[in-house]
Amino acid sequence: MANLKEIRNRIASVSSTMQITSAMKMVSAAKLKKAQDAITAMRPYSDKLTELLQSLSANLDADSSSKYAEEREVKKVLIVSITSNRGLCGAFNSNILKQSVSLAQNNYAGKEVDYLVIGKKANDFLGKNNTVVANHSEVFDDLTFDNVAAIAEDLMEQFSSGSYDRIDVVYNKFKNAATQIVMTEQFLPIAPIEGEIATSTDYIFDPSESEIVEQLIPKSLKTQLYKSVRDSFASEHGARMTAMHKATDNATELRDQLKLKYNKARQASITNEILEIVGGAEALNN
Amino acid sequence: MYLEIVSPEATLFAGEVVSVTVPGINGEFQILSNHAPIVSLLQNGNVRIQGNVTVDEAFESKFSKGSNGETVLAISSGTIEMKDNKVIVLAD
Repeated sequence: MANLKEIRNRIASVSSTMQITSAMKMVSAAKLKKAQDAITAMRPYSDKLTELLQSLSANLDADSSSKYAEEREVKKVLIVSITSNRGLCGAFNSNILKQSVSLAQNNYAGKEVDYLVIGKKANDFLGKNNTVVANHSEVFDDLTFDNVAAIAEDLMEQFSSGSYDRIDVVYNKFKNAATQIVMTEQFLPIAPIEGEIATSTDYIFDPSESEIVEQLIPKSLKTQLYKSVRDSFASEHGARMTAMHKATDNATELRDQLKLKYNKARQASITNEILEIVGGAEALNN
Repeated sequence: MYLEIVSPEATLFAGEVVSVTVPGINGEFQILSNHAPIVSLLQNGNVRIQGNVTVDEAFESKFSKGSNGETVLAISSGTIEMKDNKVIVLAD
């Protein structure tokens, strides 16, 4: 009967795993909701800022561009990798790490590539074979605009001082709970703003238009980084929710299989017992 | 006129107001209804809203009551845009 006991133990262990995964799924679902709300809440700000920048820079000449738009020969590259602090979220982190490494090997072959990481997982992986200049994993503990803006300021400083000629951000863009898209975005130098809006509005500018643009660009960069981190945060919970959902499904299937096996074994053992009894009774009668 | 105050984390205020006084980078100024279109930068100071307004409960703590029934919000920097009798303050 050892077999029966073994199966019973396995059923118990699979069931408790299932409980854990389904609880984690529900926690992630609640966190995802919050993270999604935060993305929605920041949209008016970032949309307005982009709109203002577009309508202002459309009127400005190209040569009055800011120090953040300066295209230099690329010698030193900084890749900002945004992952999560925790695992158990499917391919969420490995996708980012793969992309970060392949970016360095393919696009920036022969150039000096450093990493700046946001998220413990990136720090653990990239820290082994590469130079990680800074680790900002702590922003996830308190994800506010100000904290992310501080990182963005640091990046802008590194670029304008000439420490790096190009800065890219690799992160998971949130599409929906089940889908994350790995994005590689050029952070600095700033890409020319696309999509000209024909503005007929005759604004009064105070101070001058170029000064306003000069002030708006850092704001827009901060917003861009904040958006990336927020997207990645929401994606993380989405990915974890999906992963835990699959794990729960798999556990259910495994438990059902084990139950079937258990019942078969039980039936077989009962049949055996009856056969023995009948055999014994027959022997007595004779 | 319609006023909207948005921060990167939320829309703090949206509604009809009589006028608004903002800390412009070259000095404080007031915007009344039907002001000409303007874009300006704001510095550290107070945004004062004149008019009978109600603030969303969630952000009540950020606002305070000033003199003459004004509603006051402290900002560290920002941008203001006025267009078609609609004012948008991007507050950081």
